[in-house]
Amino acid sequence: MTETVIEAEGLGLRHGRRGGWALRDCSFRLREGRVCALVGPNGAGKSTLLTLVARLALPTEGTVRTAPPEALAYVGQDKPLYPQLTIAETLRMGRELNPGRWDAGAAERIVEGLELDPRTRVRALSGGQRTRVALALALGKRPALLLLDEPMADLDPLARHRLMGALMADAAEHGTTVVMSSHILTELEGVCDHLLLVDGGRIRLSGPMDQVQAAHRLLTGPVAARAELAAHTVVETRTTGRRITALVRPRGPVDGRTWETVHPSLEELLLAHLRSPDAPPFAVDDLLAGTEVPA
Amino acid sequence: MSALTPKGPYWVTVRQHRRVLWAVPAFVAAALAVTVALRVGAGDPYSGPSPVPLPDRGYDLLRLFLQSAGGVLVFLPSLVGAFVAGPMTARELESGTWRLALSQSTTARAWLGAKVAVAAGVSVLGSAALVGVYRLGWGRVFGTYQLHWADRGPYQAGGPVLVAYCLLGVLVGQLVRRTLAAMAVTGLLVGLVMLALGALRWSLLPVQTVITSLPSGRSAEGLPGSALLMDFGLVTAAGGRLPADACVERTGRLYDCPADMDVTGRYVEFHPASHYWPTQLLETSLILALSAGLLYAAFRLVRTRRQG
Repeated sequence: MTETVIEAEGLGLRHGRRGGWALRDCSFRLREGRVCALVGPNGAGKSTLLTLVARLALPTEGTVRTAPPEALAYVGQDKPLYPQLTIAETLRMGRELNPGRWDAGAAERIVEGLELDPRTRVRALSGGQRTRVALALALGKRPALLLLDEPMADLDPLARHRLMGALMADAAEHGTTVVMSSHILTELEGVCDHLLLVDGGRIRLSGPMDQVQAAHRLLTGPVAARAELAAHTVVETRTTGRRITALVRPRGPVDGRTWETVHPSLEELLLAHLRSPDAPPFAVDDLLAGTEVPA
Repeated sequence: MSALTPKGPYWVTVRQHRRVLWAVPAFVAAALAVTVALRVGAGDPYSGPSPVPLPDRGYDLLRLFLQSAGGVLVFLPSLVGAFVAGPMTARELESGTWRLALSQSTTARAWLGAKVAVAAGVSVLGSAALVGVYRLGWGRVFGTYQLHWADRGPYQAGGPVLVAYCLLGVLVGQLVRRTLAAMAVTGLLVGLVMLALGALRWSLLPVQTVITSLPSGRSAEGLPGSALLMDFGLVTAAGGRLPADACVERTGRLYDCPADMDVTGRYVEFHPASHYWPTQLLETSLILALSAGLLYAAFRLVRTRRQG
């Protein structure tokens, strides 16, 4: 049984009445249990999209249907916490504000990694320590949908690896749907099974990670054969000497004698799209996609 | 946990502002201690056989204290408003913690409700206690110079209007948002409302008028000693009114009026001391009505800012 957790249609947000669009014409669906990577450069609209899904802002246009407020947890980019509260009091706040849902064990498991006195005030914590407390507050809520905006930005690589492990274990155990944004691609590779690439306020790539990757090929061949590329949707081409390398979405068979064909890595795929803002968007509807979900 | 322990968003609000919540009763207790000490220390300058008051340092100190306290308490509503606008509201908006609060299971309305209820409860109880303390001291020197029932300062500090103005401060503070400038704006807005209602205050109830006929009429005739004098002048046979000094220009004397002016008497308009409570209650109701409007607006705003 699969259910939609997020359904966005024509979602857009404009700052002020005459301001620019932070996000526009954003439509996608996300299936329950997905771990979705929301990637894009700084200022692309990632935070705006998460804020709209978290219902912390009203969209200027379009709609978003998502989990009810009590089943949704959101951790903002700046990890806001009350500085005058202690760690223990912050967790108590989670219990007070989420009556009947609060899972003290889950929250404490995340905070234990800090090895700090729970009577330490939040204002005395480092950025990474605050991240842990903010995540503990989010997981203690036992959310069905967890929205994380740049969750690991303040952490060193080791802490990042450990915390991501703890987070993923918790999400897998409870079937939590996770959407996390990052501009560090390696942070998300191997963890996420769904991809949303946002750039310039629009969705460029959307769909299950394996299907998005499977739809793209990295072709290398002689410059002379360039015309053959017109048979496919070309995202980006780069010429080095007499060789041409192209990232394409094949629309038919590729001649294996002319072209050397490989599957692009996630990083190659994303960078090619970011370097070519005019490449057409690509989307696989998560609900119409194949039912096999990678483990 | 005892039944008195606040729950949910109330617990969070109380915990966040624990220091201020302790400071309020401490301040009231200090004010009470000072007032009681001054009241006990004040002698009675009218106790001697002479109609001229005897010098009494304790009595003068109590009067000085109450005059200054009245002048300070007038600014209490602005201070309450500035606190609610700044540390309670603008700080949450600026540091982004409102997102933390609103992404929990409580609704935005419950969150706002808890904030308003805690701030309003503390302000009402605290200011009511201060009014009580003020009246305790005021009763000893009531009606003396600048401590008259209608004097600006004691009038506000010793009646329910102060409590209502503090409540108004809470609600204005909730509404004025976004930056720390909100503190100044709130303080100013509350001050303006106080000035506007202060200007309107003595028009709420109709004045009483006493007319005495010339030339016998003496100035204070029919005017109670405790009355708040609003206006006085001359009346003509046709019922018209003239300024008090209308005759001076012609005859050089106040009440020696030429026959062609047809002045028949003098009038005095005043509020008797019995108007104190009705005026206090009318003004209080006006402020409460204004506060109710602001409360409605605050909840409307939160509904349009965010779904659910």
